[in-house]
Amino acid sequence: MNNSIRQSFGDTLTKLAKNNKNIFVVNADLKSSLFLNDFAKKFPRRFIECGVAETNAAGVAAGLAQTGKTVFLTSFACFSPAINWNTIKQSICYNNSNVKIIGSHAGLMSTDLGATHQMLEDLALMRSLPNMEVFSPLNALETEKIIKTVSFSKKPAYIRLVRPSTQNLFDPKFNFTIGKSHILQPGKDITIIGHGPILEEAFQVQAKLQVETPLMASLSKKISLEIINCSSIKPLDTSTILKSVKKTGRLICLEDHQKNGGLGEAVASLVLSNNISCKFIHLAVDNSFGRSAKTYQELYNYYGIGVNNLLSAVTSLLVKERSRFIRKEDLK
Amino acid sequence: MLPFIKPHPLQKVSQDLRHDLLDMVYKNGGHIGGSLSSIDLITAIYFGNLFNLKKDHFILSAGHLAPALYVVLANAGYFPKKLLDTYSSFDSILQGHVSHDVPGVEYSSGSLGQGLSFACGLALGDPKRTTICLTSDGEHQEGEVWESLLFAKKYKLGNLINIIDFNQFQIDGPVSEIMPLDNLAAKYIQFGWTVTTVDGHNFNQIISALKNAQKSDYPNCIIAKTTIGKGISFMENNFKYHDVKNLSEALYNQAKSEL
Repeated sequence: MNNSIRQSFGDTLTKLAKNNKNIFVVNADLKSSLFLNDFAKKFPRRFIECGVAETNAAGVAAGLAQTGKTVFLTSFACFSPAINWNTIKQSICYNNSNVKIIGSHAGLMSTDLGATHQMLEDLALMRSLPNMEVFSPLNALETEKIIKTVSFSKKPAYIRLVRPSTQNLFDPKFNFTIGKSHILQPGKDITIIGHGPILEEAFQVQAKLQVETPLMASLSKKISLEIINCSSIKPLDTSTILKSVKKTGRLICLEDHQKNGGLGEAVASLVLSNNISCKFIHLAVDNSFGRSAKTYQELYNYYGIGVNNLLSAVTSLLVKERSRFIRKEDLK
Repeated sequence: MLPFIKPHPLQKVSQDLRHDLLDMVYKNGGHIGGSLSSIDLITAIYFGNLFNLKKDHFILSAGHLAPALYVVLANAGYFPKKLLDTYSSFDSILQGHVSHDVPGVEYSSGSLGQGLSFACGLALGDPKRTTICLTSDGEHQEGEVWESLLFAKKYKLGNLINIIDFNQFQIDGPVSEIMPLDNLAAKYIQFGWTVTTVDGHNFNQIISALKNAQKSDYPNCIIAKTTIGKGISFMENNFKYHDVKNLSEALYNQAKSEL
């Protein structure tokens, strides 16, 4: 199993298409980037190439779906759903078409490409649409599971993919279910919830808590982070989230997306609507455009969503409450 | 029309439909100008014995022409005619812009320029059946239309017919002033489509163009020259009647007597 989310998508779809003759791809000139060369070669009549015309591609996908096909509309997130949003709204969502939109290269993880290509608004665009389900896989394994799952559903869906390879964080026996999130690590003090490979940071923070802050290290046996993979962004897994926040009383949402319209807003709204009071920090891009860099870690640090930012968030949530017992200076 | 040519039987049908359309818009408001210019085209599609619309596809891309389509569907028996009185009311299935909630409607629209892309997908996925799309001339200012023209040519969608209600007006005035389309037929030909131009109120011409289009190997465009507000003198060629709210009783009576 390789660790590339995109390759996992292309390979999984090609495998599924072998048995499911209804699977079509409607592509906007990004076949290679989405690892669909093999699909196009094996199933040329089910690979529809629209060129760099994402709006028409969305309409064609909806029309094809109307004839009983399961259509995967493939492009970069910065083009689809960005350019063709209104066609997605009317032709796909309002008509409730069986179209799965694959928005690849989302977020700051498309490091060198810069602001125009670092799609940080896709979840805002897709979460707001009726009938649309929204997923953001954690890694290659979960991508495979999500693609399989949505291929059996008849509803519109948006699947957000990121560019780099990732580490696999969880047991492959884990099953993806629409509307379920997964506790990657159980804990009792802070709920960290996020989507996509950025969640790897939470595990790094757990390690750093012990190594870099001696006082924390002494407390670390008592402090535990509950790390939740919220790959099903819409529908949300309300019970898992609420249960966790009720328990910890402290919530951090972490995402490679704008604050506006991101998962953090969805979770905050859920928690408040259920009269749960908790401390809340939303780590996401705050009303800024992206920029180029050689590594995404540089960008994550710059935009305040890096490992150190998460570490600060974790310690600040703990310090504020334990200040009666711990001197702030000791935490530096 | 020359006196020695017998009127086409559908002429009478569409005249009756115009009465229903006027009554419906008088009660509820609606986009009457384009509905009157396109109703003969929709009548030919539904009552011309050319298509089996249980299997063939009709996509209304210009969703604001819903009143014309609803009147045709009601008269074709898709739903009870008395529902027309409820058009665009809160508890009605008859949405202001055409919606798939309505029996017989395959595609919901209202935002212009999208229907032809959807029709391309249908034509591609259902190659044995005909897909007919109705677009407006003003709608051709939307970029998505031109993307779909390229697509239909590339995939040789000979089973696709785009019929254009070419009434030369849009909401704010003449198309030629707002954003001219110039020689639309030449543009379609350049994009690799087969093009026929007809009088969009002459059933013999509409039906023969639709018949010929079914045999084509290339995507087909029928440019139907029509008159906005056709049949009601004060609405004809008057873009103020693109959309009507609160038509006065006097004007309604005048319109009724003219029809």
